[in-house]
Amino acid sequence: MSDRVFSVILLPTAECNVACDYCFEHKEPHRLSMAMLPLLTRQLLDHLEHEGIKECEIYWQGGEAMIMGPAWFAEAGRLMDAAAAARGRRFKHYLQTNLISYSPAWNDVLRTMFGSSLGTSMDYPNLHRKLFAGGAEAYTRTWTERLHEAVGAGIEVGVIAVLHRGSLEAGPDRFYRYFTEDLGLKSFQVNTPFPGGPAKAVEADFDLDKGALAQFLAGLFDIWMERGHANGVALGPFDALIHHFTGAPARLPCIWKENCSNQFISVDSKGTVAQCDCWVTSYPESFFGNVFRDASLTEMLRTSPARQQFVERPKHLVEHEDCLQCRYLSICHGGCPVRTYSALGTMLAKDPYCEVYKAVFGRAETHGRTLLRRRLLNGAVKPAFHHAPARPAAAAVP
Amino acid sequence: MSQELGAPLAFLTAAAADGYRDGSYVVIVRTREEFARWLREPAPGVEWLQVEGLLQDQAAWTIAAQGTSKLPLDVILTDPATEFSGLYRLVDTRVVRSVRVSMPAAPGFMKALRLAASLQLPVRLLPGQPSVEALAELAEAAHFYLHDPMVETPVEFFHSLLAALGGAEGDTLWMMLEEDPKVFARDEARRPRDFVEKHLAGLVEQGAECATCQWQKVCAGYFKWPDPAYDCAGVKQLLSSIQSAADEIGRDLASQETATS
Repeated sequence: MSDRVFSVILLPTAECNVACDYCFEHKEPHRLSMAMLPLLTRQLLDHLEHEGIKECEIYWQGGEAMIMGPAWFAEAGRLMDAAAAARGRRFKHYLQTNLISYSPAWNDVLRTMFGSSLGTSMDYPNLHRKLFAGGAEAYTRTWTERLHEAVGAGIEVGVIAVLHRGSLEAGPDRFYRYFTEDLGLKSFQVNTPFPGGPAKAVEADFDLDKGALAQFLAGLFDIWMERGHANGVALGPFDALIHHFTGAPARLPCIWKENCSNQFISVDSKGTVAQCDCWVTSYPESFFGNVFRDASLTEMLRTSPARQQFVERPKHLVEHEDCLQCRYLSICHGGCPVRTYSALGTMLAKDPYCEVYKAVFGRAETHGRTLLRRRLLNGAVKPAFHHAPARPAAAAVP
Repeated sequence: MSQELGAPLAFLTAAAADGYRDGSYVVIVRTREEFARWLREPAPGVEWLQVEGLLQDQAAWTIAAQGTSKLPLDVILTDPATEFSGLYRLVDTRVVRSVRVSMPAAPGFMKALRLAASLQLPVRLLPGQPSVEALAELAEAAHFYLHDPMVETPVEFFHSLLAALGGAEGDTLWMMLEEDPKVFARDEARRPRDFVEKHLAGLVEQGAECATCQWQKVCAGYFKWPDPAYDCAGVKQLLSSIQSAADEIGRDLASQETATS
């Protein structure tokens, strides 16, 4: 059995209980039925078995995943895990939620199914995440209360922040203090925005000047290194980059993977399969198939012309863009297909955030080197001469 | 492994490898069917598969990524300048088994080297008797290997050469490049086991520049084969740059030892 991990972004519903301005998802009142879950599970397990993969990560999100209720999740988890165990496989579950409908009723399932952790989202300042009644202020107030309740119940909470013009205007120092001091978080990550789905007026607020964004992120990186890195604050994706540049195992975000098509898919409540949640909710032309209608997920992934574009994208980029000359190719590979597609109408081009990424990578490299030098001076690491690999087969050979 | 003490490692076509019982061997696979069969049923004694002409076959790499065995692979590129982007097909496979990429130092090979390095794939560069163009690219490759912090995996022959020139127990280039018939019995060469010693002795006897060359021990006449009249001036510059790097590392280590003692 291989060490590969396959991930599925599973959207049990497209419904949502909030009214964020920039949401690109098509919010249908459709839910994944318990009756269809065994078929979905069987398709996933068949695929894992065919590929020789032992573990599958399930990222539950929506819509708003908590709309399904804790009892539904408890039953879904029990059913899926039992089916996996019977075939010598394992599902590992993660939950991404807006937290608005969190209550202590969730704690049992969060502990048993999700390892006492969850992911949620909040921006600073929050201008665009809104409740149906009460707008952004009410959203922030409710979300903050739920966050503190969950943390108080022993749930580990990671927060994703999408940057917008207001974030850049507030500056990296205030931004950092909001998450670490005002909210008291030990783990959060920043995402670059992209205009998925149909065009909306609010998108102008997310069309950020690349130079200003690069400057903001570099500043945030410096602040985190100064105040958070050594004090147990995880700030993604900077933490993964620091791991990379100091020689530690690093799990970089999907936007910088060699080829995201090899590693995950997304499935919505109707069984639609696409590359990730951004594609499955926004771009019907890119659907791979339907897991409830197609006989085999493996065969669907092998033969889907839409998926073939994802498979071929990195090859295309090193042949036609300047990625091959980039010193950061090994940690970027041309960036995110959906960010590219949503900006340019084609995925066969490098990510429009290329220059922003380079600025972040450069900052990470500088900080990484400083850390290594410091460790060296402290005697933690002694440089070792590279020795020739043993011959003939032990190391030099494949 | 103690190949040097026993029988040399045989390189066999898939057909010839069937039923082979004479020790360790490498199977050369050239079709998807051969590849799948040897991945599925790796007989005892198989050290690795040498995969030829299959880089563009997506289905073959889907099979190789299924992890039915851990058998290592040596993927051969014949025209790295045009084949390089196909290395992305190895991404899943390298998670489940060791994968190395071997390629001739033919003009344009830097593209494949850069991409292989960015995918953390070890590389074996086969220099042969490099042309002027290839030498310029080899110099670029050596600089890339020595100085680019993004390179995390070995690039042979630079990697072993750097260690040898830095004072580690040294093999010859023939050995580093797996071309010494004492250890590697490649069918196409059919050289006697004492080929390297005799080749070098012959060169010295004939008054070739090897006689007084400072790299004689590590090179052992590698660049004088098959044409003994090959002009080694460019090669010597290349070796010199690697020697400089080895010396620099040695000095850095010595100063570090002094600083910490």
